[in-house]
Amino acid sequence: MIKNRIGRTGLTALAIIISLLFLLPVIWLIASTFRTANETFASSSPLSWAALWPQHWTLANIESAVNNGFLQNLGNSIFVAGVTVVVGLAISAMAAFALAVIPFRGRAATFSIVVLSFLVPFEAIAIPLSQSFSQWGLSNSFLALILPGLGNGLAVFTLRQFFLGVPPSLAEAADMDGAGWARIFWSIYLPLARPALIGAGLILFLFQWQAYLWPILVVSNSNLDLAPVAISKSFGAFTNNYGQVFAETAVLAVIPAIVLLALQRFFVTSVASTGSKE
Amino acid sequence: MTALPQSRQLTKRAGRSRSKRNLLAAAIFLVPTVVLILVLRVVPTFVAASQSLHRGIPGSIDAPAFVGAQVYAGLFQSPGFWQTLGQTLLFNVIVNPLQIFISLLLAVLLTRGLPASGVWRTLIFLPAAVPLAGSTIVWGLALRPDGPVNGVLQALGLPAQPFLTSPNQVIGSLILIVSWIGVGYWMIFLIAGLNDIPTVYLEAARMDGAGALRTFFSITIPMLRRPLLFVLVADTVSNFVLFAPVQILTNGGPQGQSNFLMFDVYNQSYNLSNPYAGSAELVILLVIMIAIVTVQFRLLGRGEDN
Repeated sequence: MIKNRIGRTGLTALAIIISLLFLLPVIWLIASTFRTANETFASSSPLSWAALWPQHWTLANIESAVNNGFLQNLGNSIFVAGVTVVVGLAISAMAAFALAVIPFRGRAATFSIVVLSFLVPFEAIAIPLSQSFSQWGLSNSFLALILPGLGNGLAVFTLRQFFLGVPPSLAEAADMDGAGWARIFWSIYLPLARPALIGAGLILFLFQWQAYLWPILVVSNSNLDLAPVAISKSFGAFTNNYGQVFAETAVLAVIPAIVLLALQRFFVTSVASTGSKE
Repeated sequence: MTALPQSRQLTKRAGRSRSKRNLLAAAIFLVPTVVLILVLRVVPTFVAASQSLHRGIPGSIDAPAFVGAQVYAGLFQSPGFWQTLGQTLLFNVIVNPLQIFISLLLAVLLTRGLPASGVWRTLIFLPAAVPLAGSTIVWGLALRPDGPVNGVLQALGLPAQPFLTSPNQVIGSLILIVSWIGVGYWMIFLIAGLNDIPTVYLEAARMDGAGALRTFFSITIPMLRRPLLFVLVADTVSNFVLFAPVQILTNGGPQGQSNFLMFDVYNQSYNLSNPYAGSAELVILLVIMIAIVTVQFRLLGRGEDN
């Protein structure tokens, strides 16, 4: 019994130490957002506890980010991710509904196209695709940034898994009453699917929020730069003012952290159904 | 008596018109997604495959000429290509098992019902929420000579390390960075899988007097095979196409030690204006990735009816 309790305390201590290891870089990032870059590196070489806590608080880094147009980059990212989530959810839910509920010939073949799409990762074909986009005259537009996020096989897959779990008797009863597929989709399946929609929405959101390679391939006009691209540009441009880079990264990290913390319950349930019940 | 076959005829006709109606409805529901997937995922794969069999002069108006396997032959004769391939494989052989192993340990630790497990889980998952480009840069700064990582080493009385600027340490440094980001993400999938294992099995094993290790290897691991396979495949695919950390921090260097295949595809296509070699490398990357994923399915997916 006593041995067991010691073991448990040890394991809890281990869990705390490991989480702190993951947390420390985040604390360092936030502390460095509110102090000068000189102070940041002075506190780490030689290392002191001040590395995790600013001694002279300042908002200069955030001001410098704002003055360099970071708000516009952030706005671009939010706009691209927002449109992707709304439009992407609509068309993914429609496709998932057809694949899960409507009996039709060629369903298996169509589903295999969807599965195929997430076996070939987008990054792998981004480079040849960007050459096609410039031939089609689509470079340097929001459309070019948004389009690749919309046809997301993983989102369709997640929603289809959920729709398969809805008792078919519901749709059959509505069918008897003469409701068309559109009405069955809209008034029976969609309202039930809220948790799955949140999970799929997160998949679509994170795809765009993380996007880096595709935006540098299709956008050369810096007004259209997404936030991660802007950060990497300021990292490359300044050899000294890393304060601004810290501030921009912190802002970019806080937004998805809030979204994920608020929705984590749904995210875990939806990935569970993706991973374990293929 | 004749009413019966007639009504069957009617149902049959109604059934045919219904199946036509279903097909139409399904088509309308599916068109946007299927067109996007075909145009944006499937077609570019074939474009790359076809481009890898051609060669043209950059900036010339002449159509690129079909040269068969010549571009591939050129790659196979170039020592740079073999170095790129070797480094890509070295990186992946280490990073994928390492990440999955740590994720699994963390997932097991955090499903033991310890106090405040949810908090630790969230903290470990947090790095996955930071966009890769951002966390890459933060780590790049943390690994500087005067950064906090070297600060810790020196506080412990160890010599400072060059990390990303040393040909011998660059792969290790990149593994550290992507693992800090990836481990918590994959852990969430494994926690979900562990929670799905019915507790009766674990209790039965305990009744039979099986120890913790024995239970882990004969009950937990076999029951966790599906999520484990999913995580391993998805992790492998994402590490083979890793791009942002290489482009932002090392540019393939020092001395080409981090010039992974994915980065070289980009470099060939955009900086060296050789999209044909880029496409050929892309095809090679896809083939290797598919081969490795197939092996993983064989090893872990054994006896599954999928």
